[in-house]
Amino acid sequence: MNIIVNLSIYLALILSIYAFVAFVLGIRKQDQRLIDSARGATLSIFILASISTLLLFYLLGTSQFQFQYVYQYTSSDLPLLYKLAAFWAGNAGSLLLWTFFLTMYAVMVAYSRKMRRNPMTPYIVAIMTLNMIFFYLILAFVTKPFILLDGVPVEGRGLNPMLQDPGMILHPVTIYLGYVGLAVPFAFAIASLILKSMDSFWVKMTRRWTILAWLFLTLGNVIGGYWAYTELGWGGYWAWDPVENASFMPWLTVTAYLHSVMIQERKNMLKVWNLSLIILSYALTLFGTFLVRSGVLTSVHAFSESNLGAYFLIFMAFMVIFSMYILMSRYHLLKKDTGQFESFLSKESSFLINNLILLGATFAVFWGTVFPLVSEAVRGTKVTVGIPFFNTVMSPILLALLFLMAVCPLIAWQRSTVKNLRDNFLIPAIISLVVAGLLVVMGVQGAYPIIGWTIVTFMILTHIVEFVRGTAARRKVTKESVPVALYNLMIRGRRRYGGYIVHIGIALMAFGIIGANFDEEKLLTMRVGESMEIGDYTITYEGLAQRSEGVNDIVFANMKIEKNGRNLGYMQPERMFYLNWEEPSTNVAVRSTLSEDLYIVLSAWEQDQRATFKFKVNPLVKWIWIGTWVVTIGAIFAIWNGRYGNIVPRYAGPRRKVY
Amino acid sequence: MIKRIIALLMVMTFAALPVFATGTYDFNSPEFRQSAQQYMCLCGCGQDHLECNMDGCGLNDSFKTEILEKLNDGWTQDEIKDFYVGMYGEVILTAPEKSGFSLTAWITPFAVLGVAGVGVVLLIRKWVNNAQLILEEVTVDSNDDVDETEDEVLRSIIDKERKKYY
Repeated sequence: MNIIVNLSIYLALILSIYAFVAFVLGIRKQDQRLIDSARGATLSIFILASISTLLLFYLLGTSQFQFQYVYQYTSSDLPLLYKLAAFWAGNAGSLLLWTFFLTMYAVMVAYSRKMRRNPMTPYIVAIMTLNMIFFYLILAFVTKPFILLDGVPVEGRGLNPMLQDPGMILHPVTIYLGYVGLAVPFAFAIASLILKSMDSFWVKMTRRWTILAWLFLTLGNVIGGYWAYTELGWGGYWAWDPVENASFMPWLTVTAYLHSVMIQERKNMLKVWNLSLIILSYALTLFGTFLVRSGVLTSVHAFSESNLGAYFLIFMAFMVIFSMYILMSRYHLLKKDTGQFESFLSKESSFLINNLILLGATFAVFWGTVFPLVSEAVRGTKVTVGIPFFNTVMSPILLALLFLMAVCPLIAWQRSTVKNLRDNFLIPAIISLVVAGLLVVMGVQGAYPIIGWTIVTFMILTHIVEFVRGTAARRKVTKESVPVALYNLMIRGRRRYGGYIVHIGIALMAFGIIGANFDEEKLLTMRVGESMEIGDYTITYEGLAQRSEGVNDIVFANMKIEKNGRNLGYMQPERMFYLNWEEPSTNVAVRSTLSEDLYIVLSAWEQDQRATFKFKVNPLVKWIWIGTWVVTIGAIFAIWNGRYGNIVPRYAGPRRKVY
Repeated sequence: MIKRIIALLMVMTFAALPVFATGTYDFNSPEFRQSAQQYMCLCGCGQDHLECNMDGCGLNDSFKTEILEKLNDGWTQDEIKDFYVGMYGEVILTAPEKSGFSLTAWITPFAVLGVAGVGVVLLIRKWVNNAQLILEEVTVDSNDDVDETEDEVLRSIIDKERKKYY
């Protein structure tokens, strides 16, 4: 077994080097046989990566403690699901997962029906194999997943309890799928530059890839937030931790890219900008990995400290310099054939402002993340840049972005007229102002929440107006019924209406995020039978009890919940004690409704059953998760392979003998 | 009269004494929460001292108790802050100070955004001017009043009809 697993890594490394060399030689000599051979090698690498992945799952699932990785991250009492999820608990396993996804994507591109006989394909896959070489070098020489121990330990060290959560199964996988997914548009972009194919072919071909990567990044971030909310017990979902920031930054830049490419597709403009954005997004995925693996910044996400970060930094620097060199060498070609902006008041302009704000937000997050290092370097003083900084700096920027999201869809391409603006915005603006007035009357305090909710209302209304206008326009021509017209409108404009659904999802998330700021919190030590009040709730502590779950013990408190005198049943905040781990973990009790979450944490207790609890009422948090579902539906709707508008972009770049 | 004033002052002084002498703040007091939120827990949880819920954190409980004691001893928020910054350095604060070099942390994002904003506006203006020069004279075309959504719907229907025959 040991030989097979290690062979799968070393052989894949050799093959990835071979594939890269064969692609380069094949392109240079215009030799199709070499290209076919390299393509075959790519498939073999994927098969080898699948073997490594399956075998690591097998070793983890069957508790083969003679392997260091299995010993370090699992124990025999761990539920099977978490034994398997321990795959990505450490450096080596998570990088193997990353590599597996990379090889899978490379094969999908190499054997894509749409890219068949396309001269760009060898270039794209060659760039992806360059990534594979890096990852396999790491897996073969720096952080090996299959190290055999001298003896066979009786028991493993177990998995950190904080990682024993359903979030562990989904959060890392989705984040990696997002990170690796960005390697595809990056490879297409660089390939088109090398090939001097300066049209929008690469943009159109990678639209689905990019949206999918964006969706995975969105899901990864939100699932991580949900995990923190239910597992860590501090009552929040986003802490602006350096590693959270590291995955948020590429999300922001890809969001900017998804909007600005529309200008390139329509007007043949911003080519350099879009290429720069995709290079930046790709580089930020490597930067994020550098942050997680290097230990240069304090983070709750950090993997055990290693010199791995340095390798990522070197690889990132190499890829960025390489990309920028290619970009600059083709700059004179990219400047040609540009379109025109006809008016300040146009969709094009609003997309540029959108990019400005998104990139401004990226810079603000980057600056806050690295400022501790800057401060230490400049004046030798360490500082912490935490939640208050990011909330203060990011709130106005993100509010401006929301406002733009509200306005942008209703502004016409080329040129908007005053009549156009009046027709589209008057009713949503009036209703939004009425909502703002109502918020003030209801006693909502603070400028940010009032402005925020008003903008969210405006945003939802302007999007509804878009659906109504579209349906009405269709009915005018086709005389269809309203549902049929709406359905036909949407399936014939998946990209546009999918995008609008995503916007509505973001609006719902913003609604929840703003509401969550009105949280109420109490920390109390209670005797058995004692009651407390928070918000509209009366909570009675009825005592502690204990139960077993496998080899682990759980201590839980029985809390009777009443709201405005109505009995709502019981909630049971828990503390879990592990056989193979010193520290217990927190299992928060959450009662979630559309209006608010009641959140109880069991903090500590005494011999006489007096217990200390943290109680929180977090308003509207559920809307964040609902908004995420809506975003997911919108993104899937936008990329769904429907009957309409499903045209394979035509390659019009330079022709080559090899493909 | 003077005696009365002295007596009244003494009563007021004694009445006020317990406020300073005994605890008036607890862990749920807004003043305590505001104060505890300013300090980063250094146990590695990545949270401030109000929110740290890390098992085995040896710092949080004693830190919170100390803040509460200081508040009840009559320390102001600023005095407590100066005390901890003096002891641990600026790193103990959850956000950089808004003075000295740390001020750049707060200003830079907005400065960059402002400069970039001016750049984008100038760029759009240049492009719009260029377009006007090329078009020579921009007249309000009757097509400008055509609803973009209606136009797209018509195009999709024409496209569908076209596909029937080709």
